[in-house]
Parts: sequence; structure tokens; C-alpha cells
Amino acid sequence: MSVSESARAASASEALYRITRPIAPARNARVIALDARAATVVRRIANGPWAAAGFYTCDATPGAGGNDGPEGGVLLRGLDGATAALADVLTDTDVVVVIATDDSGRAPAAAIGKGCGARAIMTAGLVLGDGFEAEDAVAALRPYARVLMLSADESDVFDLLTALRV
Amino acid sequence: MLRQDINELLTQTGPGTPMGELFRQYWIPALLAEELPDNDSPPVRVKLLSERLLAFRDSQGRYGLIDEFCAHRGVSLWFGRNEQSGLRCSYHGWKYDVTGQCVEVPSEAENSSFCENVKLTGYPLVKIGDLLWTYMGDPAKRPGLPEFEFMHVPPEQTYTSKRSQECNWLQAFEGGIDSSHVTFLHSGGLKSDPLFKGAKGNEYNMKDTKPFFEVADSEGGLFVGARRNAEDGKYYWRITPWVMPNFTMVPPRGDHPMHGHFWVPIDDHNCWAYSFDYHPVRPLTAAERQAMIDGHGVHSANIPGTYRPMANMDNDYLIDREAQKRGETYSGVAGIAMQDASLQESMGPIVDRSKERLVPADSGIIKARQKLRKAAIALRDEGVTPPGVDPAHHRVRSAAVVLPQAESFLDSCRDAVKVTPGVPQASV
Repeated sequence: MSVSESARAASASEALYRITRPIAPARNARVIALDARAATVVRRIANGPWAAAGFYTCDATPGAGGNDGPEGGVLLRGLDGATAALADVLTDTDVVVVIATDDSGRAPAAAIGKGCGARAIMTAGLVLGDGFEAEDAVAALRPYARVLMLSADESDVFDLLTALRV
Repeated sequence: MLRQDINELLTQTGPGTPMGELFRQYWIPALLAEELPDNDSPPVRVKLLSERLLAFRDSQGRYGLIDEFCAHRGVSLWFGRNEQSGLRCSYHGWKYDVTGQCVEVPSEAENSSFCENVKLTGYPLVKIGDLLWTYMGDPAKRPGLPEFEFMHVPPEQTYTSKRSQECNWLQAFEGGIDSSHVTFLHSGGLKSDPLFKGAKGNEYNMKDTKPFFEVADSEGGLFVGARRNAEDGKYYWRITPWVMPNFTMVPPRGDHPMHGHFWVPIDDHNCWAYSFDYHPVRPLTAAERQAMIDGHGVHSANIPGTYRPMANMDNDYLIDREAQKRGETYSGVAGIAMQDASLQESMGPIVDRSKERLVPADSGIIKARQKLRKAAIALRDEGVTPPGVDPAHHRVRSAAVVLPQAESFLDSCRDAVKVTPGVPQASV
């Protein structure tokens, strides 16, 4: 019996001929902790094997830094302690992952979400813990975050970044 | 992407593998009840989790699922005679009961106790609803029987079919929690399929092709919420439950019956899709039931006498490029089920997930893989019972609702995603 093209192509032997060239990182990611506990997680995650990711904490509230511009004055801080304006962090980025554990990051969440939305940057939010302590932060992110992973844990952050080839 | 070693862990379900042992913690569908319609009806070959088995129904109506091969010389008992409360090997007449216990060895002396020491591997086989369920794990850890709603509504309210799928179970399962493909692959079906068309929710599906996703843990697995824009100030949510390891439901459309699937590994390169439709509060209409029999909705038209779809890889899924051009089907393949199966089979028997480029919209899949991996390892290393074993975890429903933008789907739909007998599904 002749074998159809689909049957041949789906066979295990044909799978051996799939192109196996190394795949370059697809994303230039920014990972932003919205609160202190999230910052602890982000510092640990930053030690992973990431090729194209920047990690930041968010220890300023809107208005900080004297900036009342479109980013709401959100000031980020790299893990080396250097400050960075949100607008600069979002430059040349195509995915932003924000991490929250409680509601203290509500205002920055909204500002980051708006900033990403205005720039068509894919935004994902991960809420660590049971989520009840971060309901306001989730609500602030919801309009902008293409994905919200609720009741997440630290391994979700790692697995998401790995899956995205960051 | 997924590391190759994790891909292997998740896709290998044979005896002794971590995922194989995970699956062996659960009751799983073994075959349709219609396959053993009568006492002493012919036995049926069943391969599950890479084990060759044989199902039969004895003279007293008892079901059994035993090693396919006779303990004597290893011939298949499929050729056996199902008679007088046992299955007799056609070669030398050895006879087994539904537990696999040998009850007669004709060549032995009249009062010989030899056969008492001969027992084939046997698993319990229990009819619930339209399905025969088996549990292939440690008898001492056998959980309570499954309580999925579709099996417990009156028979006139439910219908179940099955089809073989020629790829690893994980590929098929991942399609079941991937809501974002519906707008593309199934766009034709939303307009024409008798079990899908006409719902208000379809309009939201078609208007908004870029859904937002929220993924949340449930006791038994996950809820994946897909959000699309609705009228002013509101969102249309489609909520897909997953109960570990392999039960998924499709969010409902209008008053159409609700539907879902079990994705059951046959071996590492093949699986069964058990597909069900049910309505929580009313009988299926004659037209609905006929549509299901004809292979519409989540069902497939199978080759008569088999559970292999008529559209399959050997005939290029009867692809119709003209229908594709006309927009009747998005891929050229007809039918929701075969649209999914054709693409999932095209990935190969076990897709190399180390080559993937996932996007954040795949978070449900990412999370599900993680939960499966963690559960398999926790079971292997610490003996932890995985989520979804407890029958209480089975009492979930899918839902489709329109909510104000500020509302969380989880908070607003706690009742909608719970089984409440006599209460209709939440659907748009």
C-alpha cells in the first residue's frame, strides 16, 4: 500500500531530518520585581542561564524621581543598584515579566503596564503566593498583561523564562 | 522550549517511568462500554500505558482487563473463547477469570492445584457512564471511583466517543488547554458546526483574535481563563479546567452541550482521545446526538468497525484546498477533532520540545508541564499522591461568561466552575 505524504512526514524516521541548527534567544526580556519579596526572588532567578534578560527591582512609587511624565515617575533599579528610568528599560525590549507578591506594587504595576501597552511590548504578570495579598496589583496589571499567572511560585518564573528562550 | 530530559519524562508512560507511575495513580478510561456490549461478547485488545491487555466481560457480566497473552506459551488470548465465566485460550485450553487468575489447565490432573499458582496481571475494569475505567496502580492505593459530571448525568443527557490519535498523549493534551488556536484553526467550525454555531460567544471569539490569558491553580490541576473584549466595559471569558493528568473541558457555547476530552496514552507514540458531550440539565436532542454520531463537534467520523478516524494521515486527512480557499475550513481539514489531530500528528510521534519558541500566551501549557513534572517527581521521590486523584477534584466544569472588566474570573466564577447537579452551565 502506498503511504501518504502526511504519513511519511509524521513518522519517527522523518523526524530525524528536522533542521537542528541552534536557536538564538528569541526575546529581549526585562524582569521587574514590584515589591520587596518579589525582589528577593528576582535576585535569585537572575543567576540563571539567561542570554538576553535584564532584571530590575522597583523600589520607587509613582512620582518618585520627580518625573510626572507618561511613565508616572516609576524608577527602577538594576541588581547592581543603579537606577534606571522605566522608559529606558523598555527600550529595545519585547517582553516584560513583572513579579508581584503583594499590593505594594500596585501603582508601579499600572505604570509599567501602561508603558508596555503604549509600546506594544508583550507583558506577563506572575503573582507569587496565593494571590490574595496582591489583588490590587493584579487588577492594575489585568488591562495590560497578556498573561497573568496567578498563585505562581518561583519555579514558574524560571520555567516561563526558559520556555520563552530568554 | 523544554529540556529534552523533561520532554522524555513527560512523554514516556510505560511501566516504571515517572509519568507512567503517575498515570497509574488514577482511574483512566480503558474502552467504551459499547465495546463489550454483552456477557460473553468477544474480547477486545486494549493497549494502555504501553501494556498489552485484553478486556472481556464474562458470563456473569463481570468485566476484566488482563494480560493479553496466555501464561502457557504466550499466545494472544484475543483468539480465546469467552465462555462459562472465563476466557479460555484457544491453543491448549487454559482458562482465566476476570482477575487474570488461571482457573483451569486441562493438561493437569483432575484435582491439581497447579492453576492456583498461575495468575496473569489483571486490573479492575468498572463501568461508569459510557466508559469502562481501569486502575493500573498499586491495589492498596486504589482511589475512589471517578466523579466527572458527564458520567453521572442520566444516559439521555450524555454521549461519549473515542478515536485513536497517532502521536504522544502530551501533544494531544496540550491542544486541550490551548484556547488561542480556536479563532484560527476552528474558525470555520464556529460558523458551521451544528454543535458550535449560533452562540453569542462565537462573535467575541471571532472579533478578538488576541486573547489575554490568566492561569490559576485548582485543587486538581488548573483553570485557564482566556479573555476577549466584549461590549462596553466588559470581557468575554472562556474558562478551561484541567484535572490532572489528562482531563480537559472545552468552554461551552450558548445552550449547546458541554464537551471535553480524556487523553489516554496507548504507548509513547499513540493515544486515545475520549470525547464527551453532555448537558447538565436536559436530554440531548435527537439532532444533537446524531451530529455527535456523525462526527461533528469534538467527535470524529470513524472507519466503520474501528475507532480510527476516516480522515487520517494515510489519506492526508482528506484535505480540501478549495474549501480552505473558500474559508469553509482554515486548514483544509474538515471537523474540529481532525483539525486538531492532523496538526498534532504532523508534529511527529513525539515532538522535540527543545526546538519550540513558546510565547507568553502558552502559559497554560508551560504551567501544566511544570505541574506534571513536579507531581511525577514528588510521587517518585516522596510518594506524594498527585492532584486529581481525589474524586472531589473531578467536580469541575468549564464556563463561558461575560464579566465587568474589573472582575477576576476566578472570584466571579467560583460557582460556575463547580459541578452543581440540576444547575445549567454558565455559558454565552
